[in-house]
Amino acid sequence: MYRETGIVNPPPPSTQDDAALLALVRRGDNYAMASLFDRYSKIVYSVALRVLRDPAAAEDVLQEIFMQIWRNPDAFIATRGSLGAWLAVVSRNRSIDALRRRRPSESIDDMALASNYNLADEAERNNMIEKARGIIDHLPVEQRKTLEMAFFDGLTHSEIAEMTGDPLGTVKTRIRSALTTLRKAFTA
Amino acid sequence: MNTTGHIERDDLVLFAMHLLSREDAEIAAAHVHRCPECRRELTEIHGDLAIYAQTVDMQSPPAHARERLLSQVAQEKKFPPVDIAEEPSLPARGFGSRPSLSDDDLPKRSAIGKVFPWIGWAIAAALAVTAGNLYFQRETLRGSLAEQNTQIAQLTNDAATSREIMDTMTDPTAMRVTLTKAQSQPVPQARATYVAEKGTLIFQADNMAPLPSDKVYELWLIPADGGSPVPAGVFHPDEHGYASLIMPPLSKGMEAKAFGVTIENEGGSQTPTMPIIMVGT
Repeated sequence: MYRETGIVNPPPPSTQDDAALLALVRRGDNYAMASLFDRYSKIVYSVALRVLRDPAAAEDVLQEIFMQIWRNPDAFIATRGSLGAWLAVVSRNRSIDALRRRRPSESIDDMALASNYNLADEAERNNMIEKARGIIDHLPVEQRKTLEMAFFDGLTHSEIAEMTGDPLGTVKTRIRSALTTLRKAFTA
Repeated sequence: MNTTGHIERDDLVLFAMHLLSREDAEIAAAHVHRCPECRRELTEIHGDLAIYAQTVDMQSPPAHARERLLSQVAQEKKFPPVDIAEEPSLPARGFGSRPSLSDDDLPKRSAIGKVFPWIGWAIAAALAVTAGNLYFQRETLRGSLAEQNTQIAQLTNDAATSREIMDTMTDPTAMRVTLTKAQSQPVPQARATYVAEKGTLIFQADNMAPLPSDKVYELWLIPADGGSPVPAGVFHPDEHGYASLIMPPLSKGMEAKAFGVTIENEGGSQTPTMPIIMVGT
């Protein structure tokens, strides 16, 4: 596959951290780009597919985001947290923009993000995912559904309130409470 | 905003998810920009959302997606950034290991930049035309000046000849000889050369008898139209009996029927005093 894409250098070891891969991408290393794709394409595509519910549109978002990394790897800096975490949120925001047929917000990628997890490590990433899913599964169903509608469906609190018949304040509180529970579980 | 002057956490969560209205989002963004506490909380919320995003059901992208991405990456091949510190201070472009600049390396020109070089050519062309005109004018003036110089030289030569003629005719030291029939007595005679159109007259007399000091000879122009004789000048003959009048002041265009000479008192007269001692027609 590498030969088919014109890559002639050996692929970098998958154990390289994100910062090292980004440095290589900055120097035009195709292999580093392939490694980042192998590492994070699944989460980026999965989030986009969940939001858009359209494989072709999700693939477009996937391509767009990774080409952005190729063209401007400096857009992400280590102080913004984990690259994997950043990509997951960027994928969600880009997909919401695509869903609403609006021009991508310029500020979407200018986002600092707190993360204590090394998502570059597959084992740690899988562990974190299982833990998060467990926490979400134990949330009150109203909180879980409201957070899902807001984050993955891109519905505003007004739209959610209209659909569920719940007061606006209640919708806001449910979203905030769900995230608070998630944070406490991970900081405990 | 809450009572402490910060954004309500509920709204900050919505702001993080881009779910606020445009107006509310602008207010929140402005506050976050200047509020470290809210900015820190926003960073935490983004971290929470990143964790939550990981809970999505994982789906592998299509196999061709990787190929598609890497093909596009290959198309947009980029070169490693050059470390300026490692650059030689004065690189010999085109001779060293570094490739020469290509058109793609050069900065793109603006509209003014594209037009600007042509301004120089336009100015050069205008200067060339102006220089050509100046050269043509100079050559014309030079030709005219040469022609005038030729004319001046000719006039100067003519003037010099005229002056020589005049000097010869009026020089008192000149030798003047009147040739007559051999062994005959010389008689007074005179010659008048007159151009009526120009009013020019040259008069020369020989063998004129000397006069008392209070008397003078006076030349008269007798008009062809029958008018009164016009005084044309007075003269004293020298010791050889020679006398001349060169270009006396006369009116132009006055046709002459004859010329005559009378003897008048010193200073001349406005009307001839009889008898007329010499006459010619």
